[in-house]
Amino acid sequence: MDTTQLLRGVLDLAVLAVVEREDGYGYDVVRRLRAGGLTEVGDASVYGTLRRLYAAGALTSYVVPSDEGPHRKYYGITPAGREQLIQQAKEWTSFADTVTSLLPSPHRPTGAAR
Amino acid sequence: MSTSDETLALRPEVATFVEEVRRHLADLDEETRDELTGGLEADLADQLADGTPLGDPASYATELRTAAGLPERVRRRRGIGAARLTRTPGAVLDGIRDRFLGAVDDPRIRPAWDLLVTLRPAWWVARAWIAVTLLDVVAGGWEAVSLVPTLAVPGLGAVLLLAAVVLSTLIGSGRLWPGSGPDRSIGRRAVLLAANTAAILLPLTWSLPWPSYLTHDPFGSDGYAQAWSDVTRQGLLNHGHQVTDIFAYDAAGRPIPLVQLVDQDGRPLDIPLADATQWDDQTGAPIVACPARNGDAPVRNAFPFARLELASGGPCTVERAAGAQAPAFPLATLPPVTPAWPAIAPAVPATAP
Repeated sequence: MDTTQLLRGVLDLAVLAVVEREDGYGYDVVRRLRAGGLTEVGDASVYGTLRRLYAAGALTSYVVPSDEGPHRKYYGITPAGREQLIQQAKEWTSFADTVTSLLPSPHRPTGAAR
Repeated sequence: MSTSDETLALRPEVATFVEEVRRHLADLDEETRDELTGGLEADLADQLADGTPLGDPASYATELRTAAGLPERVRRRRGIGAARLTRTPGAVLDGIRDRFLGAVDDPRIRPAWDLLVTLRPAWWVARAWIAVTLLDVVAGGWEAVSLVPTLAVPGLGAVLLLAAVVLSTLIGSGRLWPGSGPDRSIGRRAVLLAANTAAILLPLTWSLPWPSYLTHDPFGSDGYAQAWSDVTRQGLLNHGHQVTDIFAYDAAGRPIPLVQLVDQDGRPLDIPLADATQWDDQTGAPIVACPARNGDAPVRNAFPFARLELASGGPCTVERAAGAQAPAFPLATLPPVTPAWPAIAPAVPATAP
C-alpha cells in the first residue's frame, strides 16, 4: 500500500503529537517523525503542515536567532492545538480499531500474540 | 535534539534553492510566501548537513504548497482559482503578467515578442534619454529637444545622459532599486511601472522637432497637412515647415505693419508663442515673440510679432516688451497683384475703356 497516501491523512496528528512533546523547528520535527518510524515523510510536507497548523492557530511560532547561520523558526503547541490533538487522537484510535477489526484474525496485531 | 547547532552555516546552494522555491510560489501574496518559506534556510541547511540532497525546487514548492493547504499554482484567468488571492495588488499584477505572457506565447506573435525582448537594452537607453531630456525641457526652457540634452553647462548633458544610461541599465537588469521582474514587493513594482509609463507618455507632451516627412501629406493636400498639424502640435506649418511668424503685403506688394488673421470660420489663425520663438543665427540665443495686445491681453493672431532677444529665455512680458524691436520683413516688397474679381479691387484705379 502507498503509505504516503495514508500519511497525508494523519500528518496533522503526527506533527501535533511530536510538537506537543517538545517545541521544535522544521527539520527537527522531520527528524523526530522519521526517527519515530515515519521514514517516508517528506520534509516539504512537514513544513507545509507546520505552516498550515500555525495559520489555523494550533501552533505558535518563534524565531531563535543563530550566530552562524539563518534564523531557526521554532513551533510550539497552543491550547487549541492540544485540543485538536486529543480530538484527532481519539478519532484515529477509533478509526484504526475499526479497520483492524475488519482484518482477518491472523493479521490483527493485538490478537496475533504467539 | 540536534547536534548540528554549532555547525549550521549559511550555504549558498541553500539560499539559491530557497530563492527558486520562492519563485515557484510567486503567485501567492508576499505574507503567505514569507510564512511558507520562513526558517526554510535553516531547516534545509540542517537537512543538507545530515546528507539528504535538496532535490527539485519546483516539486518541493508544490509539496510545500499542498501540505500547507494552499491552491495549486494556476495560470490565472479571470474568475478561476483563488479569488481571495487575486484581489491583492501583487496578484492582480501577476494575473495581468500571466495573461500577457500567455498572449505573446501565440506562435504568430512569439518571434516578434522574442525580438522585442532582445531589444530591452534599447528601451533602457531610451528611458534614460527621456529622463535627462525631461530635465532639459523643465530647466532649459526655450530650446528644441536635441539628441544629446544641452542643459545649461556645456558637456553636462552628455555626462548626465551617460550616468542615466548606466543607472537605467542597472535597474533593468535587476541590480538596482526598484529592480525588475515579478518576484518583488508591490511597492517596487508599482514604482517601476509608474516610471516606465511616465517615460512613455511624457515625450508626447513635448514639442518635438518632428521630421518633415512625418507631417508631410502623402496626398498633396495642404488642407489635410494643416489639419493634421493642428491636431498634433496646435501650431502652424507651411509645407511641413514650422511657421514662427507671418508677414503680410498689400496688393501693391508693400509690407503691412500689422494684420489680424482669421480662418474661414472666423477663428484666430494664431501661432502658439512657444512655437514662435526664433534663434539668433550667430549666438543661438532665443528671440522670443512679443505679440500685439488688446488692452493687456496678448493677441496671437496679429502679425508680424515684435521680437525680443533674451539671453536666458522666458516669455515676453509687458515689462520686457518695452525693449522689443519692430519685426524685420523678410522681403522689402513683393510684385503687385491683380485681384481675380476686379469689383472688390478699390486699390486699382479704374481706367477709361
